[in-house]
This record gives sequence, C-alpha cells and structure tokens, in this order.
Amino acid sequence: MAQTADLLQGTLDMLILKTLAPGREHGWAIAQRIQQISNDVLQVGQGSLYPALHRLEYRGWIKAEWGASDNNRRARFYSLTAAGRKQLAAELENWERLTGAVNLVLGMI
Amino acid sequence: MLDEVWSKVCSFVAGRKRVEVDEEIQYHLEREIEANLAAGMPAEEAKRRAAIAFGSRERTREACREERPSFPLESLGRDLRYGLRGLLRNPAFTTVAVLTLALAIGANTTIFSLIDQALLQSLPVREPDQLVVLSFAGARPGHIHSEGGDSTGHIHEFSYPMFLDLRDHNAVLSGLIAESPLTLGVTWNNHAESVPAELVSGNYFETLGVRPAAGRLFEASDETAPGSNPVAVLSFDYWKTHLAGAPVAGKTILVNGTPFTITGVAAPSFHSMVWGHRPDVFVPLSMEQVLQPEWPYLTDRQSYWIDLAGRLRPDVSRAQAEASMSTFFSSLRAAEFPQLRDQSAKARQDFVSAAHLNLEAGANGFSPLRESTAMPLTIMMGMVLLVIAMAVVNVASLLLVRAATREREFSVRYALGATGGQILRQLLAEGMLLGLGGAVLGVAIAPGTLHLLIRWLTGNSLDQLPFTAKLDGRVLAFSLGLTVLASLLFSLAPALQFRNPQLAGAMKQQAGTGAGGSLKFRRTCVALQIGFSLLLMVAAGLFVRTIDNLHNVDPGFTTDHLVAFDLDPSLAGYGPAGVAPLEQRALDAVAGLPGVRAVGATNDADLTGDDRQGDMVPVGYAAKPDEDFDVELPWVSDGYLQTLGIPLVAGRHFTAADTATSQRVAIVNESFAKHYFGNAQRALGRDVHRENKPNTQATIVGVVRDVKHESLRDPAIATCYTLFSQATRQTGLTFYVRTWQPPEAATTEIRTAIANLDNKLIVGDLRTMSKDIESNLLTERAIAMLAAVFGLLAALLAGIGLYGILAYSTAQRTREIGIRMALGAKRSTVAGLILREVLMLAGVAVVVTIPLAALSTRMVRSQLFGISVADPAAYAAAVTVIGLVAAIAALVPARRATTIDPARALRNE
Repeated sequence: MAQTADLLQGTLDMLILKTLAPGREHGWAIAQRIQQISNDVLQVGQGSLYPALHRLEYRGWIKAEWGASDNNRRARFYSLTAAGRKQLAAELENWERLTGAVNLVLGMI
Repeated sequence: MLDEVWSKVCSFVAGRKRVEVDEEIQYHLEREIEANLAAGMPAEEAKRRAAIAFGSRERTREACREERPSFPLESLGRDLRYGLRGLLRNPAFTTVAVLTLALAIGANTTIFSLIDQALLQSLPVREPDQLVVLSFAGARPGHIHSEGGDSTGHIHEFSYPMFLDLRDHNAVLSGLIAESPLTLGVTWNNHAESVPAELVSGNYFETLGVRPAAGRLFEASDETAPGSNPVAVLSFDYWKTHLAGAPVAGKTILVNGTPFTITGVAAPSFHSMVWGHRPDVFVPLSMEQVLQPEWPYLTDRQSYWIDLAGRLRPDVSRAQAEASMSTFFSSLRAAEFPQLRDQSAKARQDFVSAAHLNLEAGANGFSPLRESTAMPLTIMMGMVLLVIAMAVVNVASLLLVRAATREREFSVRYALGATGGQILRQLLAEGMLLGLGGAVLGVAIAPGTLHLLIRWLTGNSLDQLPFTAKLDGRVLAFSLGLTVLASLLFSLAPALQFRNPQLAGAMKQQAGTGAGGSLKFRRTCVALQIGFSLLLMVAAGLFVRTIDNLHNVDPGFTTDHLVAFDLDPSLAGYGPAGVAPLEQRALDAVAGLPGVRAVGATNDADLTGDDRQGDMVPVGYAAKPDEDFDVELPWVSDGYLQTLGIPLVAGRHFTAADTATSQRVAIVNESFAKHYFGNAQRALGRDVHRENKPNTQATIVGVVRDVKHESLRDPAIATCYTLFSQATRQTGLTFYVRTWQPPEAATTEIRTAIANLDNKLIVGDLRTMSKDIESNLLTERAIAMLAAVFGLLAALLAGIGLYGILAYSTAQRTREIGIRMALGAKRSTVAGLILREVLMLAGVAVVVTIPLAALSTRMVRSQLFGISVADPAAYAAAVTVIGLVAAIAALVPARRATTIDPARALRNE
C-alpha cells in the first residue's frame, strides 16, 4: 500500500519536473499539459498537484515566483532550479532503466 | 545559489502563507472555469464542474501544509498545546499525577545521586582513566594498619620499603604514589585541634595533576631522608574555614608539637586519592617517624600501612603493566622471605608463590567507604525503582479512568478523520507533559532531600561523609531518561486502548455494563501495585525487625550514663615517655570530678567498628597446625572493666597496685579462657605472651564475661585485656566516664578538667556511648526508615489505586446491581459482591508476589540481623497491612453500592 503510493508520488514528481524543463509554468497549466500530452490518460488531481509542487519547492528542486499570466492575471509560476535539473536527469535515467527492464521481461514471455 | 538557500531557510522557518495557497487555488479554479466556459458550458455548470474537479479545498490546503518541512514540529507543538489544555481542564487529576511522579522521580534522583557520587564519579584529577589502584595477593605476617576495603587476593596496604622498590624500578608507570590516613594535632594561633590528615609521597600531587590554590604543593624532592623536611600542604576547605583564606605559604604550624612549614594549599575540588578521605593537612610520608615516634613504619618491611596508586604511561596497557610489575613484585617477596620468622615450606608457599600484584582501574579511586556503602545504596536504589514502578502504574490507571470519560471525544475525532497515529501522538504528548511536570518538580526537590538524607546519614559523627547535595549532568540525564521511559509506559496504557475503538459502539450513548477491556487492564494495574507495595513492606518489615533486634542486643555492659572522649597526648607534642603519665593524670583528674561514678580508658574503643587484633598465646603453647587464632588485644586502664561494668567471672580486677613497674598482668574473657584453658578457673595464674615480641608476657589474674566489642552485630570474640601502663608502646586512649547525672551534663566539666592539666591537650569527639551506638547502627537505621517510608507510601498508592478501580467498576455496574436488588438481592449480598472483588484482587496479587518477595529479599540477607529472610512476622504484617488497606479502599464503594435505589438505577437506562 505504502509502496504504490510512493511510486505514484515519485512518478508525479518526475512528470512535473519534466513539464517545467522547457520553462516556467503555473500550476493549472502544468496539470493541463500533462493531461494533454498523455492524451488524457494521466489525470492529475488538484489534491495531489499542489502538495507535490510544495514538496518539490521545499526540497529546492523548483522555485516559485508571482508573475503575470497570459491573460494578465497574477499567478504563481514555477521553474526548475539547478538542483531540480540534476534531479530530473537522475529520475529520467532511473525511469529508463526501470521501464527497460520491465520491457525486457515482458518481451521475453 | 545563495538565494536558493535563503529561500529554503525562509520557507523552513515560515512555510508558505495560507493566503498564498488560497490565491493559487483560486487562480486554478478560475482557469478551470474559463476552460469550461470556452468548452461551451453555461456559467453555472462551468463553476460546478470546476468545483467538482478540484475536490475539497480544505483537503488541498491541509495537504500543502503537511508538506512543510517544519510540519512535524508544528504538530508536536499543537499536540502539546492540546495536551496542556486537557490537563488544565482536569486540575485534580493533573495534580495527583504530577505529585505522584514528582515524589517518585525525586526519590530516584536523590538515591541515584548518591550512587553516582559513590560508585561512578571519577576523581577530580588529570586524566583519571590512566590511574590504577595497586593491591596484592599473598600472606602478610606482621603489623597491619588497615581501614578495610580488602578482600581475599586484594590487599591494599603495602610497606614503605616495598613502595620505594616498586616506585623506583618500573618502566610502565609515569608515577607511583602512596598515602596513609592518620589523625594529627594541629595548633594554629594557639588553638589546638585534632584534624584528619594524610601522609603522602612527594610525587603525590604532581602525579595526580592537582594544582595549588595558593603557594606550591609537594614535589618529589619533598620526600627526603626520614624526619628532615617538616612541610605541610593544607586542604582548600581547611584553609578557608580555619585560616580564613589568608596567605599562608611559608607560615609555621605546630603538628603534634613539631613546627611544620606550610608550602601551599591544594585545589578546591581535590580531597584525596582515596574516595571518602577528607584530610585537612597533607604531610610527606618521610615525616612519619616524627609524627608517630612509636611506630618505625618507614624502615619495616613487615608493616603494611600505605595505599598505592599509579598512573600508567600512555603507551602501556593495564594488563602489560600488571604483568611486568607483578613479576618484579614476586621477586621482591622472594627477597623478603628470609627475614620472616616462619621459614616453613607452607609459609614460603603463602608468602612467595601465592604473591601477585594487581593493577586495577582506578579512575574513581580506591575506597573502603565505597565497599561499605555500595550494598545499602543498591538496596535503596532497588526500593526507589519499585516506587517509581508503582507511580507509573498509578498514573497509568488514573489516565485510564480519564480516558474512559473521553471515549466519545476520541470517537468523534476519529469520525472527523484523525488517524490512529495522531491520537496516539496526542496521548503520548499528554503523558510526556505529565512526566516532565513531575520531573521538574522532582528534580527541584532532590537537592533538598539529598541534603536532608546526607545530614541524617552523617548523624552527629564528626566524620564528614564525602557526599554533596549537588546534581551533576549524569544524574540529570538519568532523571530525564527515567522520566521519558516512565512517561512512555504510562501513556501507552490509554493509547493502546484508543488506537482502535469501535466507533459505532462508542458513538452510541454508553450503556454502562462495564468496559471489559479497560477494566481488566486496570485490575492488572492494581494487582501490580499491591504486589509492589507488598514487596516494599516485606522489606520494610525485615529491616525494621533487624534494627529492633540490634537495639535489643545486650552488649554485655550497661551503655547509659556513659560519656566517651578521645585523648592522645602525642597530638599535643608529648614524647613517648610523657604520654602514659599524662593519661594517668587525666584519669585521676576526671575521677575527681563531682558527679562522676567511675572512669576508665582503652586504646580500643567499644562499639565503633574499631578492632586491634593479634595473637596472644599461653607461654609454651604449641599451636595446632593451621591454628590462626587472633584475639582482641585492648590496652586498658585499671578502672576500665569496672567502669563499663563488665562482670568478673573468676579471679580479680586490675587495681591501682598494678603499675608500670609491677608484674605484668592480664585479664581474659571467657571465650579466651575456654579456647586455651578449657574453663575460667584453669586460666587463672597462667602466663600468656605474644610470640617473638619482647616484654609482652603477662600473668592472667582474672576472667571476665564476654561482651560485644566491634559492633552490636558482630559476635563477641576472645579478648585479652592488658594495662596501658604496662604496654610496649604509648598510645592515645578513649576515655569512658560513668556519670550519676545525665551524661551530657558532664561534658563541660570534663573539658575543663583536661584543659587544667595542659591547655594544649585536645579532647577529641566528646560524645555519649548511646550516640556511638546510634552512629554504629546508622546504615541499618537509614535502610529501615526508608524502607518503612517507601512501604507506607506504596500501601497508600495501592489503596488509592484500589479505591479508584472499585469506585469505577461499581459505578459501571449500577444497572446490574439495580437489577439484582430489584430481584431481591439483600444489601449484604451486594456489599459482598464488591468485597469479593477486592479480596480476589488482593489475594491473587499477594499469592503471586510472595515467592517473588522471598527471592528478592535473599539479596539483602547480609544486611539483616537476627531474623531469616523468610521471617513469618514480616510477611504476616505486610499481608495484614495490605488487607487493611484493601478493606478501607472497598468501604466507600461498597456502601455506595448498597444504597443504590433499584428503581432509579433502572430508570437511568
């Protein structure tokens, strides 16, 4: 039970970091982006999005600042920090290895 | 990079503000609504969908908050705040719980502080871990000057020549030091006083790393040719109290009548290399002969009188040093052997082959006092640990009652989404608060109780106990650890009960037929309490009976109306020839005082733990193989036996006609006569002597009854009294004065009479015999008293616990009792119901505890006197007290149960 939760959480963290890789973005847009790109397969619940953003911020992987949105409203924008980039690279590598291994097993059977 | 760190710090301290989170959530919702509108929904529907998609705002806020790094701290603070509020809402409960804990923690802190000081603390010297204490195995025929603390194979007294050999021929110690305690007469500003002192080796302070508080301390060069360097170092306390801290280096004091130059004052914290010694004055060992002209200790290889300690070289282990020094020690013993009187093969075996030198870890110093206090302190520690166990059970049981009334509160919290962990945390926080409250109070009272206990243990004796009423870090850490452990234990009780309450059941109004689980737990608690208190009361009973027995021991002579004081003319500078005549004059002077019935003196004070033993055999006596019959050898005045009232069995007493120049005479006791002559009559007229000691032959002129000598506890031993005026050496004496009026009234006259002889004379420790006996029984009395106090405290706690559970269970059973009474049960039957519950509980507890008590009291056997550990009276008394307490505790609930009105009890449903 605890393990699956961790896995999901970790995955969400990675997706957020990846979404922020091109540049800064606010919470709503991050959720939208993940949903669109995954063809609506991955629905990011707001109940887990914002805690995750806070968590990543406290860990120093992303930073937040207030700025004007595209429709000129005050919004909170998140962007990757240097530590966040490093973390993203590490998580991607980890993910490749994991999925690669799973694929190997699946392909064999 | 820097501002990242900064923002991290900021966020840790403050976290994100709630309004920021709210604004972010608001923005998210608005974008969602816009998106929905863009998708063509009507405004209302767009809003509704967005809200549904987002879910609970409050949950999100909470979840964000929980991500804050400081969240655990915040929730701890909140738990503590809640806990405090809850405790304050229930002041009676809180007061009882905190006071119970304070009492228990205070008692533990007090006793542990004594243990810490006696057994754990290192000497206040440089790198105490390098210190080793020397002791040896092997026979030691000759003169032994010991304060105790020896055991088989671990004799701590060495001869001075042996010390020099060991000091000068070893490559493993950076220093070997020696000391011997003695009493000196010190005159300063024309004021004479006897003070505890130490003869020390020249390298003593240097090797220990003790710094001077003023002037300089001894150096190795101060230990010179015997008698040629009269210098002294003062202890810091003596310097402050007697010399007002004035500059003293270079000043002269009279020590036993000889001028000594003060070189300096030792550091404030330092007392001695032996824990328990509190010397006021230090003098080099090489001056021994000047201070004790009668004892040629410095050159005699068969006088064992100095304690040794060494400092290991940093590169040498204790085992290496021991191996190296022990080999050398054995060779020294082989070289000493030819000078011994007994040259048999067995003597060689005992003296040379069995010889071994031990180097034992000495960070806290050698101490005869420690040996004698370790056992009583351990017993006291055991008792206070039982008390805290009881306190824990009591508070746990109180918490359970409280928890029972909070069942609904917790159920509601569960229903509102609290997790088991959160509830557990809050209960623990409450428990910790109670525990800390108790600890703060307990530690606050500890110095006070410690002070009282030390003063009480010291009694009226002049010997200062080396305990202080200060708590050090180790003691505080112990108290804190104990508190945390205790708090965990008693918080766990209700916590376990509430981790998984049946929500539905608790949400319903309680039906009131008894909460089975909690009641069972509480019964166990009370049974445990009864067990603990029984244990303590059995111990109390045994110790009280012991002290009672000791008080009723007949020492063989009457101890009332008896004043004692010490007089040693050599402390006032009298030479060997002057001591005995002065003592005789003192005896005559005191005898002439009005109100004095009789006066006598001995060099071997009675019932103070002193002994002077050696061999004394009939002339021509052939000892049986392995016969090693040491007898007590007091030197007394001619009026001593009559003054004490020791009954004569045969022959005559000493008289004034037995003088220094007349024939030497002896009086023996019945044990002595029986051992060597078969009976008293046959002993008369026989000659006894100390083998190979010139001028010791004496004729037995009388036989007296056996009396207790060393203490009331020790059996009387064979004794041979001889006259101090006919003795081979001069010595200080203890005077006993039998008075007509209360003994305290005679003290002033006695002081005046002695001062009239010579105002330099020091009357030491003027006290009554009863006081001597009391201080002799101090340890026993302290244990008995504490055990009794703790036992009663335990009974009280058990009573309260018992009352609590009965009141609770009776209240729970109101309906059941109502039905019983409605169906015709008599009031007496109902009362019986309650009483049966009590008796069952108490009975089970007693039956379970008695074998435990029998086992654990075995450990204190050595401290008992005149009773067995299975003393039926002690057990019966303890069980009776428990029974009484249980009955009293049952009285109120039983009465309440019988007054239940069936109609009302049933209507309550």
